[in-house]
Amino acid sequence: MTLTQREMVANDRSRFDFKDEIVYLTETKRGLTRATVEEISALKNEPEWMLEFRLRAYDHFLKRPMPAWGGDLGKIDFDRIVYYRKPSEREEKSWDDVPEKIKQTFERLGIPEAERKFLSGVGAQYDSEVVYHSVREELTKIGVVFMGTDQALVEHPEIFRRHFGTVVPPEDNKFAALNSAVWSGGSFVYVPKGVEVPLPLQAYFRINGENTGQFERTLIVVEEGAKVHYIEGCTAPVYATDSLHSAVVEVVALPGSKVRYTTIQNWSNDVYNLVTKRAHAHENATVEWIDANTGSRLTMKYPSIYLRGRGASADIISVAVAGRGQHQDTGAKAVHLAPDTRSRIVSKSVSKDGGRATYRGHLKVAPGATNVVASVRCDALMLDDESRSDTYPYIDIQEDDTSMSHEATVGRISQDQVFYLMSRGLSENEAQNLIVQGFLEVFTKELPMEYAIEFNRLVKLEMEGALG
Amino acid sequence: MLTLPWTTEEHARRIAIGAGEPSWLLADRLDGLGLAASLPIESNMLFTSYVDLRAAARLADLEPYVQTGDATAISAELPPGAAGLLQVQEDRVVARALAPRLREAGVIVDTFAEVLRSRPVLLERYLANAPSLPPNDRIAQLARGLWTMGAFVYVPAGVQVEAPIVVRWGAGRAGRGLVSRTLVVLDEGATATVLEEQDATDLAAAGQSLWWGTLEVRLAPGARLDVAGLQDFGQSTVMFVNRHATLEEGSSLRWALASVGAQLQKSRIDNVLLGRGATVHQAEIGFGSGSQLFDLTSYTRHIGEDTTGDLLSKGVFLDRARGYFKGLIEIRKSARGTDSFLGEFAMLLAKRARSVAIPSLEIDQPNVRRASHASSVAPIDEAQLFYLQSRGLDRDTARRFIVLGFLEPVVARIPLPEAQDRLRTLLDRKWAPLVTAEAA
Repeated sequence: MTLTQREMVANDRSRFDFKDEIVYLTETKRGLTRATVEEISALKNEPEWMLEFRLRAYDHFLKRPMPAWGGDLGKIDFDRIVYYRKPSEREEKSWDDVPEKIKQTFERLGIPEAERKFLSGVGAQYDSEVVYHSVREELTKIGVVFMGTDQALVEHPEIFRRHFGTVVPPEDNKFAALNSAVWSGGSFVYVPKGVEVPLPLQAYFRINGENTGQFERTLIVVEEGAKVHYIEGCTAPVYATDSLHSAVVEVVALPGSKVRYTTIQNWSNDVYNLVTKRAHAHENATVEWIDANTGSRLTMKYPSIYLRGRGASADIISVAVAGRGQHQDTGAKAVHLAPDTRSRIVSKSVSKDGGRATYRGHLKVAPGATNVVASVRCDALMLDDESRSDTYPYIDIQEDDTSMSHEATVGRISQDQVFYLMSRGLSENEAQNLIVQGFLEVFTKELPMEYAIEFNRLVKLEMEGALG
Repeated sequence: MLTLPWTTEEHARRIAIGAGEPSWLLADRLDGLGLAASLPIESNMLFTSYVDLRAAARLADLEPYVQTGDATAISAELPPGAAGLLQVQEDRVVARALAPRLREAGVIVDTFAEVLRSRPVLLERYLANAPSLPPNDRIAQLARGLWTMGAFVYVPAGVQVEAPIVVRWGAGRAGRGLVSRTLVVLDEGATATVLEEQDATDLAAAGQSLWWGTLEVRLAPGARLDVAGLQDFGQSTVMFVNRHATLEEGSSLRWALASVGAQLQKSRIDNVLLGRGATVHQAEIGFGSGSQLFDLTSYTRHIGEDTTGDLLSKGVFLDRARGYFKGLIEIRKSARGTDSFLGEFAMLLAKRARSVAIPSLEIDQPNVRRASHASSVAPIDEAQLFYLQSRGLDRDTARRFIVLGFLEPVVARIPLPEAQDRLRTLLDRKWAPLVTAEAA
């Protein structure tokens, strides 16, 4: 990211809140019926099994009641949402072929520069279809696949079918069922045996179009001994009516592999962000979710790791900042199903200006999972009297040699610290900002440097009340 | 759901008419049943995934006691070191005593039935409209509707009761169940200690039995109360209990509760810290073996300013025993200066034992002295075992010592020396089946 772009991030976030006048070539009618699902599948010219999968999910979506816990979902009107929109006819390989309008949007977001700097590949999602895609030649040569999920269904049908829906079945929850019925776009990553991807793979997602649901589906399969870091970041334009983002992310970490998945979620404050993210960690595999949530009206997201093979390891860092009108209901799950597995969950939340930050976590040690070591730490910072912070950890241990520890604290910024920093010449706001950045550092230090800088700027803007 | 053939309005009317109760009391019973009718067994969505009432499934065959406690003629010697005694065996009051000095000072230790005769207005003031039971708890509201035995402890303003007042319940007769309420009221500046014991009347009982009660505590400004509980029912007894305390300005309450017996204990504690500077300390232990389940819920609500909550739950589980520790601390917007801690710690000593901890926080006021929780599950520390063995103890003895040490914070707070010794014996006795199993 260039200096100019950073300044843009720092000075005027509203520049991200633009809306392009795109002529949508294909879109479904508002609302969701069986015919909508069939229409999406037909438009994509999908194999029969995928249509069946979608319909099975649709049936379950209808049957499943809305979750009665978590945030307020009462304002979601499923009948007003457009479930599928295709902004351009075909997937572009070269940047020059991308339609000008869309290109402008991405250029304002700085994607090509980001790519030049340190990314090994870019998959950018514009509404419901991947429109731009490139993977560096050397990665293609060693067999790494990084493409839109729709394209992967066509080009890599065997790997796709073997893993798709195995980590998050459509019956998992109501929003996973919805995603499974109408999914479109998302990233597909396949790393062959023993291959280490040297630089992070990155995808940007944007929602455009009023009342567009975005239902991307990401599938990451990492073969034995392979290694990959995948980064996903989000910005979205602001609209008056509520928008729904309901993604499913599946990660399959095969024996001895290492997967890191980093997300910076910064949807505009009218988006419902209801995401199911789950990984299976097989023998001696390591999975890391590094997850930050600063945007959206309501986020309900609990990155999960199922430790299925002996010696697997899980690390989850979850960060949330809840400002005015926002509810971040986030957390983490670690499910130990095999012996000698380890997990560590660290959660940090900041609530301010009447925002609500909720940590909801689940740590489970199933019978048979002997010699487990697990720790959970959640800290919350409340910046004013209007805000709210909740902590709901669930800890279910069914093996006697488990070693589990859990700690949580909630409090406000220490006035002593603020006073000290002010005595060194900082304004009160600068002092608070610095303390919050320090509080979140456990997350920031896990980011690539460019992201860490951007994230700190984002926090600064939040602290100054400069954001929506 | 806990819907039994007798959890009905008709049954409540039969109890009230049989006892010749005043109309306000019947109305109160019917209010409780009315509330219960619309309540699920667990009204808090946070905890619904951990409700297991399979052990209570057979309660449908059970016959509830209907006679209310009439204790006119009974009195007994005080146990050594105690200030008062009320002892109930199944549905009968078998002993009742109070130190003469306290009787003169206006202290009451008696059954609801007696107090209805002697001080009806006093009882009505604390009982009517059930301000001391959670309105969203089905089990509590059913008890309010269907109780037949009531125990009332009242300490007037400024009276200091040094020695403990003992309330002792015996239950366990196969096929029978008792529903009761216990109300403890301390007026301004009063102090007292209550020791509540629950014992088995019939250890060899072949069938299931039920003990279903409450302990409702009302502390006026500046009152100080210690409550110790020791539950040692037989392995075929199901126990439901709601303990609910309301604390006004500057009052303080200390709970020390030990659960050793019962097939299933489902308990809920509510601490409502209303007044400025109110303080609650709560230490709770469960030691389970066989297929026992301790389902222990605890709510602490900080409402007044500068209140303190210090809550500690500890569990040790052998065989297939399970502990569910569900806790929620609420810090309301009004509760500036709160200090609140919730700790839930478990030791699993057998492969099939299980521990669930849900230590939750809901915080609307960041201006706190402290708001935190901690929890751990771990086996016995091998280094500690090794150390004790190096001092000449065999492994089994070393394990027992370490577990007793783990539970000691509650044991040490049981007031009467005999009761404390009894608890240590009970805890030690829990090992018997395991030791046999290991030897075999």
